[in-house]
Amino acid sequence: MTPRLDAIRECLEGAVPGIMATCAADGTPNVAYLSQTEYVDGQHIALSYQFFNTTRRNILANPEARLIVTHPHTGERFRLRLRYLRTETAGPLFERMKAKLAGIASHTGMSGVFRLLGSDIYRVSAIERIPGAALAPPPPRASLLAALRAVSARIAGCRELDLLFSDTLDGLEAQFDIRHAMVLLLDGAGTRLYTIASRGYEASGVGSEIPLGQGVIGVAAREGTPIRIGYATLEYAYGRAIRAAAEANGLAAALETEIPLPGLADSASQLAVPIRAAGRLLGVLYVESPHNLRFGYDDEDALVALAGQLGATMLSLQQASELQEEVVVPEPPPQPSEGRPVLVRHYAEDDSVFLDDDYLIKGVAGSIFWALVRDHVESGRSTFSNRELRLDPRIRLPDLSDNLEARLILLRRRLNERQACVRLEKAGRGRLLLTAWRPLTLVEVGQGGARPDSACC
Amino acid sequence: MLDQPSSVPSAVPESPIDAELAAFITTAGVSISVGSSGAGLLPSITRGIGCRVATDQRRVSVFVVAEQSREVLDDVRDTRRIAAVFSQPCNHRTLQLKGRDAVVEALEAGDRERIERYRGAFSAELGAIGFGPLFTHALIDSGGGEIVAIAFTPCAAFDQTPGPRAGEPLAHAK
Repeated sequence: MTPRLDAIRECLEGAVPGIMATCAADGTPNVAYLSQTEYVDGQHIALSYQFFNTTRRNILANPEARLIVTHPHTGERFRLRLRYLRTETAGPLFERMKAKLAGIASHTGMSGVFRLLGSDIYRVSAIERIPGAALAPPPPRASLLAALRAVSARIAGCRELDLLFSDTLDGLEAQFDIRHAMVLLLDGAGTRLYTIASRGYEASGVGSEIPLGQGVIGVAAREGTPIRIGYATLEYAYGRAIRAAAEANGLAAALETEIPLPGLADSASQLAVPIRAAGRLLGVLYVESPHNLRFGYDDEDALVALAGQLGATMLSLQQASELQEEVVVPEPPPQPSEGRPVLVRHYAEDDSVFLDDDYLIKGVAGSIFWALVRDHVESGRSTFSNRELRLDPRIRLPDLSDNLEARLILLRRRLNERQACVRLEKAGRGRLLLTAWRPLTLVEVGQGGARPDSACC
Repeated sequence: MLDQPSSVPSAVPESPIDAELAAFITTAGVSISVGSSGAGLLPSITRGIGCRVATDQRRVSVFVVAEQSREVLDDVRDTRRIAAVFSQPCNHRTLQLKGRDAVVEALEAGDRERIERYRGAFSAELGAIGFGPLFTHALIDSGGGEIVAIAFTPCAAFDQTPGPRAGEPLAHAK
């Protein structure tokens, strides 16, 4: 029986390097060991083009090739008949392979040697199982379909956005045994992602940011493709990439690193999956593990399916919250606020907000907070509706599709994590209650105003 | 090797491999792959399960399992072309030999023992990078089937260690 390509794609993970034969126009054969083989779809694979070598010369002159790949657990071997079609030097497949190759290079001591010049795409026209012994495959870790079903059921039951994130992350841990995960959402301007929820880290990192295109997460978002690496690599490590960007961009970027991105110090396997709905990118679901090769093709498929459902549910909850009728609740009696006043500073240039010298948040969430505390101080209001915030000209939501609810979750969590003297709670459907235990002194700082020292380290 | 004949007929070109390379491909537990091509320019490939090098290094014989190597054997019989690659898993040191006069031969006395020794050395090599012996044995299992030798005169040798210099011809042995 001829196996299907998707049934043997574990063989393409590279635990045992593939070996490929090509031949020149004069018939001279050539054999090469491959550092990377990538499953593209049921009929195609991609091989890394790193150097202009004999294999490269041969396939350009004669596109026929034969490849032997080996199953990493059973030792079974399969011989594939290939025909070279084309080379891609940019785009999702290229970026996927480039990230993976960086991991492979780092794992095999070839950093600086392996560099992806292109993804060579081949059509697979025949697959033959080479006769020989095979070991029994190890028992599956868990049924990924059963895990997917369980988490899907949970997502389908979510009625609120913050529960949607926490239930998804709980489900990943309980059903997939994925202990380190985070959800990041795309900023309305589409240039960066911010962390909205995480699991399995010392600090939640909620509010931390990643520019599009940086590291595994940023590349997955920019290219709209899952990025999965099986070995740690400095090239895609966050600390380094983000620090470098901050250094290059000066003070404004220094704030971006004020909230550190959560992440495992000894991360080995990483998988970032774009969250998409209605044809646009909403964010990224990211998981990682300290173990090498923890996530395979099937894990990637399961998380892509899950991210699809997560995105669709996010969108429908957002639409429901925009449509829902406001329930007017009476303004509560003013809460006594005591003690030394807290200095609330707002910097207009990036909407960053500081409580005394502590950085709280910036961007849209910062402008929301500033509008709330101004109304609170100037007119004694404590309750606000989502609808009025959405229409408030002081809050510059990047566009109508921006997820206000997500910004409020972010703001609420930041206030709670900072144990701030100001808190934001839900007060019925579509309404918020602001509580301040200490008097607030508001200071608006114009362009170029000096920041508290602690934020500029 | 020290006991080589001291006078070599001048008409015979020098072998591109020396004693050190001969030892590398026969005893270092390297991964062995063999390619050929047919008249229609279709390449073929199989895995080797050991090899023998003549004492003067002029003839190399790679052992393959016949049932696993039908296309390669057909192509070798048809075109006599061969490429054989020897790669050490722990450090990626890789050598490629090419030949134009390959023939399929029966095993000689001592070859079964060479295959057995290769199995041990290859298991030790793969063991060092985390593969158990059962896995390695599956990789080079003959299933009790026929094993044949593909013998050829290396006409060129290339350093195939990964990197930008991969594919460069080796300097001829001293």
